[in-house]
Amino acid sequence: MSTPEIQTRDLAVKEKFRLSRFLVRWEMILVYILAAINLLLVILRPNLYFESGTIQSIIRSGMDISVMVLGMIFVLMLGDIDVSVGAIMIVSCMVMGLLLDAGAPAAVAIIAGIAAGGLCGVFNGVLVARFRMPAVIVTIATSMLFRGVAEIVMGENTLKNFPDWFSTLAWGDLGGLIPYSMLFFLAVAVIFAVVLHKTKFGRELYIIGNSSTVAQYSGIRVVRIKIIVFAVMGVSAALSGILFAGRLKGISSGMGTGYELKAIAIAVLGGVSTNGGKGKAYGPVIAVFIMAFMTKTLDLLNVHANIQIIFQGIILLIAVMIPMFNKEFFDGLKLRFVFMGDKNIEAISRRSAKEQQELKAGIAEVYADRSLTEGERKAKVNEYNADIAASKKKCRDDIKRAKDELKARRKNVV
Amino acid sequence: MKKNNILRKILNYKEFGLVIALIVLLIAALFINKSFFTFGNISRTLTNNSVFAILTVGIMFVLITGGIDISIGSILAVSGVSVTELMIMNNSIPPIVLILAGIAIGAACGLINGFLVGKMKIVPMIVTLGTMYVFRGLAFVITQGAWRFPHMFTEAFASYAKTEILGFDAIVFWAVGLFIVAGLFLGYTRPGRRLYAIGTSSESSKVAGIREDNVKILAYVLCGACAGLAGALYAANYLTVSSDIGKGYEMTAIAICILGGVSITGGRGRMDGVVIAVILMSVITSLLSMIPGYSVWQDALQGAIIIVAVIVNIANGSLADKRALRERGNRI
Repeated sequence: MSTPEIQTRDLAVKEKFRLSRFLVRWEMILVYILAAINLLLVILRPNLYFESGTIQSIIRSGMDISVMVLGMIFVLMLGDIDVSVGAIMIVSCMVMGLLLDAGAPAAVAIIAGIAAGGLCGVFNGVLVARFRMPAVIVTIATSMLFRGVAEIVMGENTLKNFPDWFSTLAWGDLGGLIPYSMLFFLAVAVIFAVVLHKTKFGRELYIIGNSSTVAQYSGIRVVRIKIIVFAVMGVSAALSGILFAGRLKGISSGMGTGYELKAIAIAVLGGVSTNGGKGKAYGPVIAVFIMAFMTKTLDLLNVHANIQIIFQGIILLIAVMIPMFNKEFFDGLKLRFVFMGDKNIEAISRRSAKEQQELKAGIAEVYADRSLTEGERKAKVNEYNADIAASKKKCRDDIKRAKDELKARRKNVV
Repeated sequence: MKKNNILRKILNYKEFGLVIALIVLLIAALFINKSFFTFGNISRTLTNNSVFAILTVGIMFVLITGGIDISIGSILAVSGVSVTELMIMNNSIPPIVLILAGIAIGAACGLINGFLVGKMKIVPMIVTLGTMYVFRGLAFVITQGAWRFPHMFTEAFASYAKTEILGFDAIVFWAVGLFIVAGLFLGYTRPGRRLYAIGTSSESSKVAGIREDNVKILAYVLCGACAGLAGALYAANYLTVSSDIGKGYEMTAIAICILGGVSITGGRGRMDGVVIAVILMSVITSLLSMIPGYSVWQDALQGAIIIVAVIVNIANGSLADKRALRERGNRI
């Protein structure tokens, strides 16, 4: 007797890589959208598209908001939201600009600016996590507060004293090919992706987003993690601020309004659910590029910037609606319009579909069976095919009878 | 004994803190600037804040159901510009018809929001974020980027909001009337109570036979209608219209609601609190504009006030819970 095999459950839930699954993943769909937009651009303006510098300028145009989107992934992952990021960005730019005006070295100014962003984030985080205030309210209020502080401090002034390499970062290309801003963004994005997908901290974010109670009971320090996430959001807004200041070369208190909502829109387009606990870091990264390319394509089509926002809005709405068109949705439609809203008829159709599937599996078995001769195989396959046809006919007849009965019954009721 | 009861009733009044804050502010106003209490200033303050007041009522319906609508600023713009274009196209349309048209346009926009939230079950924040962009762009399409200035307005429409009744502009009466109607609607009608029901618990209201999706659509349509009314009155009051009007108004309106004790998670919020909050905010903006150099403080102050108000609300709630527990303990 051999020793009985000990049953172990494989806890490492790993799906096998399947090409069919991979190709319809949300990130891949985003890639297709990006490719389609590029194709459109090539068709519309081939000479412009292949001109040197076009693609770089498109990419650069989308990069000032990009880092902010990464921070937003974390916040949305928790099921929270942060609409104060535009204001935080201006505050940290302001801190940098004021210190540079005062003659501080660039490194000090940047560190102070990032710290200011982080502190603003911690303020949000403490109010949300410690005082249990809804994130929407907190961040609406703090966006007024932060922007108000910027207005008080800066007044009508514009801060222009940023170091030259800020604008090099925002406007320059490495070797004339790759924009520095994109490299900067991708470097930060890699850090965010690794943290989200490969560390314990990242997994904890998913758990909190799915159920913060469960997270609490399983020993995750929800309050602390929430504060950290909001602080990270503030820091990423500050990093965005560096690109923003470099791009515009001057900061005033009224700038960057609407950035918060744009960042949320990009993150949602990238497949991050606002309910929390769903999404990947790659999606929003692709979505950042989609937004940039879409803006440029619409520019080339002579669509005014104020009309472009219609497309932004519609794309956002369609993006959140696409996951709704799943199997249940189509089953519901079929039940309503094909089966006259009657579950019995649906059941007949389902049963016969299952029957036919089994018969088809039988055919596959016949082909796999090597002991059979050619003649036998053909005969068996024919048999099965006849069965399938019979089952289909039976299903049709059954449904027709059931429908007739139903019609008669409904007529009687009326 | 009876006197004690009245005192306790006053102390237990939910918006007690707000009233105190308002009184303190008014006393401060006495010292800051005597001219605050002139009739002209009060009337002007009310006129300037009527548009916000109407928006606030609108968003209150949505907040009570537990949703949020950040597209109202854009709806205001759509309604404002379309009313203005209508007026320019046909000078003979009477103002009241224009305003009704504004309400209808707003309600139509609200219906889109309501359909997406109620029937398609998308998160309200995302729906209204999307439609905020769409409506803002639509407003631009309608105007083609043009600005409309006072000399383009017809005499009837231009004088409509400024018609004085008892010394107050007509627009103030629209706001007050809306407050009364909406207060009665929320407090004493079946659909009004249903808004609270689905905001409090969507599960139990479903069990009670309330059609949640329809009630939600109603809330968004009402909100849109209020924003539409606000848009038409904005055009009539300020006589300068572009597709950019009303940007950022949604946040201020939500802020006023929160200050007035409307819960953003739904199910809570009363008209009296919102009325006091509107008055409080108008007093603050009016006072700040009277002190030279301090009008830049407005945003920061508003933000700080909301944070404090919410913290106080939460602290109050937990205190009340503790008191209730203690009383229950005493009874046993």
